[in-house]
Amino acid sequence: MLALVQPIANGVLLGGIYAAVAVGLSLVFGVVKLVNLAHGDLIILASFLCLAATQAFGISPFVAAAVVIPTMFMAGYLLQRLLLNRALPKGLEPSLIICLGVSTVLQNALLLVCSPDARSLPTSMATMTIPVAEFLTIPVTYVIGFVSAVIMIFLLHVFLRKTFLGRAVRAAADDAEIAQLMGINTGKIFAAAMGISLVTAAVAGIIVGTTFTFYPHSGPQFLIIAFGVVIVGGVGSMIGTLAGGIALGVAQLLGAHVLGPGYQLLTGYLFLLLVLSLRPEGIFGKQA
Amino acid sequence: MLLVITFFLYAAMAQMWNLLAGYSGLISLGQQCFIGLGGYTLAVLAEQYGFPVWAAVLVGGTVAALFALVISIPLFRTTGVYFAVGSWITAEALKIAFTNWDYVHAGTGIFIRSAYRISLGEVYYAALAVGAGAVALVYAILRSDLGLGLAALSEDEIAAQSVGVDASRSKLACFLISAFVTGIAAGVLYLQQIFIQPYNAFSIDWTVRLLFIVIIGGIGTVEGPIVGACFFVLLQRVFSDYDHFSMLLMGATAIIVMLAAPRGIVGELRARWGFEIVSTRRR
Repeated sequence: MLALVQPIANGVLLGGIYAAVAVGLSLVFGVVKLVNLAHGDLIILASFLCLAATQAFGISPFVAAAVVIPTMFMAGYLLQRLLLNRALPKGLEPSLIICLGVSTVLQNALLLVCSPDARSLPTSMATMTIPVAEFLTIPVTYVIGFVSAVIMIFLLHVFLRKTFLGRAVRAAADDAEIAQLMGINTGKIFAAAMGISLVTAAVAGIIVGTTFTFYPHSGPQFLIIAFGVVIVGGVGSMIGTLAGGIALGVAQLLGAHVLGPGYQLLTGYLFLLLVLSLRPEGIFGKQA
Repeated sequence: MLLVITFFLYAAMAQMWNLLAGYSGLISLGQQCFIGLGGYTLAVLAEQYGFPVWAAVLVGGTVAALFALVISIPLFRTTGVYFAVGSWITAEALKIAFTNWDYVHAGTGIFIRSAYRISLGEVYYAALAVGAGAVALVYAILRSDLGLGLAALSEDEIAAQSVGVDASRSKLACFLISAFVTGIAAGVLYLQQIFIQPYNAFSIDWTVRLLFIVIIGGIGTVEGPIVGACFFVLLQRVFSDYDHFSMLLMGATAIIVMLAAPRGIVGELRARWGFEIVSTRRR
């Protein structure tokens, strides 16, 4: 029984990281009603930007966040304003395909500019662990990732509830037409939502970069994780995203504990397929 | 020669993706399931049981169709983007399962040695048959009662069901047909490539390419996937020295097409000048 504590603890922490990866996707899906298929690649883009910043200025990845986060916000704002706002009136499919196009362009551009080697963001804490008990050691990077994710999700939750921009975003999500009647410029709000989504992607990118090794083609892998979390947790609820991430993380690591480390992802996918067929709107989602 | 073989096979697989997305409203991100299964059936049967390769290709298509039948039970409970993601997750699950399965040599892959004896000319005729067959099949479907039902469903699903079109049966039929033909095309493809491993066989890149091919060519048209496949193969040839550049251009072209000409090359030609080679209208 005690042997399960380690996988469950790791699963919870990993789940927080997964939630950070998924938050941006959930936000855009809920607000702009757009499935951003480029989300995974945008996270990897952030990781590479952070890598470039750390190598150029010789600073720690966490300090480089000060550069990466505003850059990603601008990128998201412009992406929505210039490309996606034009496609949205045409229906769901055109914007889906444009996002897939952006994803492909990003992946291949990264492969061309940076070589396909494995990268990771250098931090002194990469191999540190905290021994809690003889059956439980906690990797420091996982803890940092989990805490950052929870803080980010909490901030986003407060932002959506308390600030004017947050309420405008929620209004546009509920009913874009009425929101426009209330004087909200939905084009700018959608762009802001996309910008915020990319800010979360930037944070996720830094977390991912310091915790795992990444390649230019790692994007789709994280997109699937994000989708999985959204499927389990439901769209539009920040708490749901956190719960979904934790559920997925625990499912993966328990599976790995029972079947072997090669099966970690497989158990995750089987768990996702199960939830998808039984309760596609997720634990916290609204019934369709 | 290799270029034309690639063109025929991609055209066939793109026709099948178009059948699902353009005519049945099922946006599939999981075609690589059938590609991997078709290829692996060929590999296992030919290598480990000494099956004649062409028979193995046909069995590959059947295995893919059977898998489609099984996976449709959970997948058809979902719609829209959840269906797309579900089909992708299924493919990823297959990828990991095959990577850990010693029966198919796990991650190291299989060399199909009996394929060495097959000449490029034979593969060419096989690819031609598959490509032309796929187009003919799609045309036949669209002119049949199934096609009429599909057209009605795409207009208004509930109204179509109320006049007796069985939506789930029609979609399932298209799903199975698409799996079968994609499996066979994959068999011929791996006959030419001779080596298969899980990471490439079940990669999402397959479906991304098919998607771009259909979108650029013209979704919902019979000629669209053919034109798109032609474009894709030419792009690959022109930029063959610059690895990822051709895919980058495919992505960029797809974005431009979606913004400027959402019906694709053939779709726009058809809309503006009534240009049609293959008409599926009933007069």
